[in-house]
Amino acid sequence: MQSDARQSEVVIETRNLTKVYRDFWGRQKVRALKALDLEVRRGEVFGLLGPNGSGKTTTIKLMLGLLFPTSGQALVFGRDATEVTKNERIGYLTEESYLYRFLNAEETLDFYGRLFDMSRAQRRQRTFDLIEMVGLDWARKRQLKEYSKGMARRIGLAQALINDPELILLDEPTTGLDPIGTREMKDLILRLRDEGKTILLCSHLLADVQDVCDRIAILYQGELKELGRVEDLLKVRDVTEICSRGLSKEAQREVRAVIAKHNGEVLSMDNPTTTLERLFLDIIEESKAHPGRRVRGVERGKEEKGEGRREKGEG
Amino acid sequence: MVIERASATLSFYEWFPTAALSWLVVVGGVCLAALLIGWLATAVRHGPLAAARIVGRVLANAAVDVICISPRRVWALGWLAVRESIRRRGAVAVVFAVFIVVLMFAGWFLDPTSTHPARLYLSFVLTATSYLVLVLALFLSAFSLPSDIKSKTLHTVVTKPVRASEVVLGRILGFVAVGTLLLVVMGAMSYGFVVRWLSHSHELTVDNLRVVEQSAKDKPELHEGFTSRVREHRHKVTVDASGRGSVAMEKGHWHDFSAEQSRGKTIYRIGPAKGMLLARVPIYGTLRFLDRTGRKADKGVNVGYIWAYRSYIEGGKLAAAIWTFDGVTEEQFPEKQFPKGLPLEMTIEVFRTYKGYTGDPDNIPGIPGSLSIRNPKTGKWVEARIFTAKEFTTDVLYIPRELETSDRRKLDLFADLIVDGKLEVSLRCMQRQQYFGAAQADLYLRARDSSFTLNFIKGYVGIWLQMVLIIGFGVLFSTFLSGAVAAIATLGVLVGGLFRSFMFNLAASQLMNEEGLKEVGREKVMGGGPIEAAIRMLTHQNLITDMEPGLRTTVAKMVDVVLSLGMYVTASILPGFWDYSFADYVAYGFDISSHTILQSACSALGYLVPLFVAAYLFLKTREVAR
Repeated sequence: MQSDARQSEVVIETRNLTKVYRDFWGRQKVRALKALDLEVRRGEVFGLLGPNGSGKTTTIKLMLGLLFPTSGQALVFGRDATEVTKNERIGYLTEESYLYRFLNAEETLDFYGRLFDMSRAQRRQRTFDLIEMVGLDWARKRQLKEYSKGMARRIGLAQALINDPELILLDEPTTGLDPIGTREMKDLILRLRDEGKTILLCSHLLADVQDVCDRIAILYQGELKELGRVEDLLKVRDVTEICSRGLSKEAQREVRAVIAKHNGEVLSMDNPTTTLERLFLDIIEESKAHPGRRVRGVERGKEEKGEGRREKGEG
Repeated sequence: MVIERASATLSFYEWFPTAALSWLVVVGGVCLAALLIGWLATAVRHGPLAAARIVGRVLANAAVDVICISPRRVWALGWLAVRESIRRRGAVAVVFAVFIVVLMFAGWFLDPTSTHPARLYLSFVLTATSYLVLVLALFLSAFSLPSDIKSKTLHTVVTKPVRASEVVLGRILGFVAVGTLLLVVMGAMSYGFVVRWLSHSHELTVDNLRVVEQSAKDKPELHEGFTSRVREHRHKVTVDASGRGSVAMEKGHWHDFSAEQSRGKTIYRIGPAKGMLLARVPIYGTLRFLDRTGRKADKGVNVGYIWAYRSYIEGGKLAAAIWTFDGVTEEQFPEKQFPKGLPLEMTIEVFRTYKGYTGDPDNIPGIPGSLSIRNPKTGKWVEARIFTAKEFTTDVLYIPRELETSDRRKLDLFADLIVDGKLEVSLRCMQRQQYFGAAQADLYLRARDSSFTLNFIKGYVGIWLQMVLIIGFGVLFSTFLSGAVAAIATLGVLVGGLFRSFMFNLAASQLMNEEGLKEVGREKVMGGGPIEAAIRMLTHQNLITDMEPGLRTTVAKMVDVVLSLGMYVTASILPGFWDYSFADYVAYGFDISSHTILQSACSALGYLVPLFVAAYLFLKTREVAR
């Protein structure tokens, strides 16, 4: 019960979160985010998707207090996003490695460790462990200005984990990584999730998001267009895929009966899934065609439950 | 040495209460004004009650952010600033290299014929250090935060549990550490440079001396001559028959003289230079004047100089400049140490209404003057010394311990003329139609000397305080301006601070009449305010004649009043950077008292606290990612 309660605990919550960029004279220039309502629960991997300029990075920056909302609220661990103390429990991997290039890897992690008021012994141990974890032991004494992009991303990840955070925000985590590094990053994300950490990630690499995320939100021009569990969203409802035999439900039953009658084996009889990339592009197209509307309606998970209850009733 | 600041002669304990009260009033007023403006600006958007809540919340958060500063985080951020300054920015290395080059080639361009080489060398090293360190501090502090914001490295810092107050404080302390390290190294090198370049000796042989003809037959034989020429000078030497001699002062120093016999020959030895690197501890008195009829006057005569630092007394009249000293005791001037009497040093200026001389053309007489001592109880004056005024130099005179009155009574200086530690010394000019000019700091008692090395270090403390102020302003401006603009703003503060006195005088000249200026101790600046001065320049008018009455003049003067008000307020806010400069003290050989250091340090702290709070508020309310 406690585990369930903890899992359903809301770590990030945005209420009508709006961000409008204004010019020097106070005139509206860009509406980066409009009335975003979002919840991220403890222990899940949440993906934030959208084309360039959709408001993903703005959302993350609002959650971290790097920007102030025009209206609405962003809460992290129940506290306002501008409160500094909430950062004790957060780790943040920036889009690029915005680290001090004149420091080496050890100095970098030691510096960030000090910012968490960690003792020398803790910092030393943590620095050692993280550098080993990201596979940069051989370059620990080199200044970051000599690092490749991939190496810098690894150190960026290490600094994001220096305080063993409960919530980790990853902005384009696999950018600049080779396929092996990408796989390692995804494995790490899943491992962190299994350890009970909450992860919010932004990415353009939809395949990577599909592999690791539990739930996703799709933003377009500052508005939330879709929100739900990945497997639910990717389900194509008006298509029935029969892997072996069967057509409609009745036909499926008949097919099942026929198959059973004919001593056959039903390999699968379910709705097929499309790819996340297809879904993403479809939503963007539909949003362009119907601006201002969320074309897919309520969250898919709830819809499924409603359908299931109706089927039972029918049954 | 010129001392224009009245506070320079006050003790710290006399200065502090008034200064602290003024600070509280000003800072309190600024805080209230800022709160009001903040509330008004917020109320426009959110309404008055919500605005009050928001302002209250901001204040509460600010209090927490300041009180809950983590020393470990501040240390980490400060250490980052140090490493950034040294590793990333080549400015530290460039400044140090420039300093080395300047020192190496200083001997080529420092005037070897200077009458006071010690003053020249000391002024040079202190000025060079000051300019280089201040420029470095300006660039480091103004560009650091904007660079971090632009490169987004600050994002990874502020997304940690780091308060804006810690970011600001860490930067300030980090840059102060870098500047201090550089100052220590430059100071040590400067000290070595000065001592090395000033130390020298001369040679003297028997052949350099000749017998001086004596008018009286029974007078002992005297030899006179000159030492070898070293560093563009030589000293006159006088040796008596017994072999005792003295080396005359030249270019502000002298040497010890000794003679010894070796293998039947007399060998003269001239010791190292003395009297160049000093730290006199003066006892200053308060100055008042008597006019030509002997009545009390606020000031002496103004002989027409624009710079009214000195007042003048008319010669051959009852006019006098009288210094009153307190706390003068015989223990301060023991007879063994001061056998010649009470040592008094005097730098006076002579104003001649006529020039020329009478008598021997090779012996031009100076202007005679007299020093008298007054008994504060009886009011009677006793003439102590007649002297010939020495211009452009500091004259050393001794008030004898035993004085004789006009009716030939013998008086003891300490027993009969100094009452309860109070001593009055009167200066008069004895030649008609000539004037002596004097300011309060022009005459003092010289009780003892402090350590020159310690005084040199104190001189660098002044530069350090200037550097800390520049860093404070640089960091403040960098929290809300881009790097280049912050640098310009900080430079503006520096230049404005250096010309603060002029700005006050200029503004006061537009806002006050002559009497008002006199009351606040300001000098009139001719030529009007900025607009009037511009009109005068364009129309080729001089500074003295009045502008033609008309609409243009009226409008110009009205605008000047408004601008002058702004200038007055700005000058009041800016720190007076000259006030933190002790270069003159070190160069002229005067001890920088602990009171002066304490005053300056308190004053600098009085600026730094509001600078820190303002920088914190600007950074806190700023969207770092924008």
